[in-house]
Amino acid sequence: MADAILRVENLKKNFGNLSVIDGWNLEIERDERIAMIGPSGCGKTTFLKIIADLEKDFHGRIEKNFERIGFVFQEPRLIPWINVMENLTFVFPDKDKIDFFLKAMRLEGFEDYLPSQLSGGMKQRVNLVRALIADPQLLILDEPFSSLDMPVKFAIIEDINKLRDQRKFAIITVTHDVKEAILLSDRILILSKRPSKIIQDIKIDLQQKERDISDTKFIQAESELMKRIFFLSR
Amino acid sequence: MKILFGILIFLIAWQIFAAILNVPLILPSPYLTFKSLYNLALQQETYQAIFSTVWKSLLVLLMVIAIGTPVGFLMGISESVYQIFRPAITVVQAVPVISWLALVIFVWGIGWKGPVVISFLSLLPISIFTTAAGVRSTDKSLIEMARVYKVPQVKIIRTIYLGSLVPFVFSTVEVIIGDVWKVIVVSEYLCGSDGIGVLISWARQYVDVPRIYALTIIAVTLGIASERLVKIAFKKVLEKWQMQS
Repeated sequence: MADAILRVENLKKNFGNLSVIDGWNLEIERDERIAMIGPSGCGKTTFLKIIADLEKDFHGRIEKNFERIGFVFQEPRLIPWINVMENLTFVFPDKDKIDFFLKAMRLEGFEDYLPSQLSGGMKQRVNLVRALIADPQLLILDEPFSSLDMPVKFAIIEDINKLRDQRKFAIITVTHDVKEAILLSDRILILSKRPSKIIQDIKIDLQQKERDISDTKFIQAESELMKRIFFLSR
Repeated sequence: MKILFGILIFLIAWQIFAAILNVPLILPSPYLTFKSLYNLALQQETYQAIFSTVWKSLLVLLMVIAIGTPVGFLMGISESVYQIFRPAITVVQAVPVISWLALVIFVWGIGWKGPVVISFLSLLPISIFTTAAGVRSTDKSLIEMARVYKVPQVKIIRTIYLGSLVPFVFSTVEVIIGDVWKVIVVSEYLCGSDGIGVLISWARQYVDVPRIYALTIIAVTLGIASERLVKIAFKKVLEKWQMQS
């Protein structure tokens, strides 16, 4: 893969005597979307932290061909005592860009609201806006929809895909939800139990219009994937 | 309404115990005490004493926050600073008021400085340790978020650390405002030249027990009123901090 935004070779990570990541190899293209599915504790979030420079103690080689990263955390991580606009200018003080993404994420008019005054879905949208305003070349989604109900979740996923089509950034999604994985990725990596390995790399052959949970091809792909995960987990 | 009822029950119980005990030198009746309080209200020296105690208390509060907050902040963000300062502050916290008294009388004699310094030294450790605890309990996930986006350290300190500190500074003020009156009055009693504590000391010399009780009522009222005022003033501001992200 010539134009890889991220190249990982033989990545290993231990916490003391506990081996969590055991020799991962992967490459992600510049505008590729990948999803990672695996059991709890298999090192998915640790891997994301390594990419985001939050975890520096690991073995192996990581080649990062990006300067800007956007990280959508599992919890919104908004500063409670400052409003939405202040939370966003805290990381990137370009108000025009913030206004653009607030509009794109349907948050216009909520600039002066405190995080506690927003619904769970709105907080997660602010979390996403914060990740997008830095114009990331790589967007990381760490189970950001786990606490959201289905309609909110799918609406946000649709917004992410629209923006990604316009701005062509790569996405790494960590999730437990097969539907989310299919909606947000071109490739799905299945991880084994700890110490984890990448045991399957599955290409999702769906057109964007087929990425609809009611589409026959989507349902087929979901069922195929569920079968594989079930088989692999036995 | 319930509070008034509670006060009435307290006064009735006081009257009953005073009547049973029948030793006004130990427990004067509410009537004698409130008569003495009325007399105090007519005397100018009472207001001068209240003023003196109030300004000393405010000065101590200001000094404790002004010095305790930055020291506590530094101890909160740096483990090394915490370990260096902790023994000294723990010692200051453990020193009995009477030991400070001997020291301040040697240095300043009787006057306003003694009560202020003793109260300051007694309350400073509370401010320092509360602030340090506040900084140490800063939500680490917010710091991690800021690091991902490479937010400058100065901005992280200003927005996240200092922001997290606000409720702790306020709760320090709430705790200290309740204690500062007691410490100031005791210090005035021991080495002051004016204030409520000095009036209590004089009343003791004249064995005027109802007057001691009446002055105690003034000190208690000042303490409760200031605590309530601070709580009301801070409630609105703290709403933002008490909510979760």
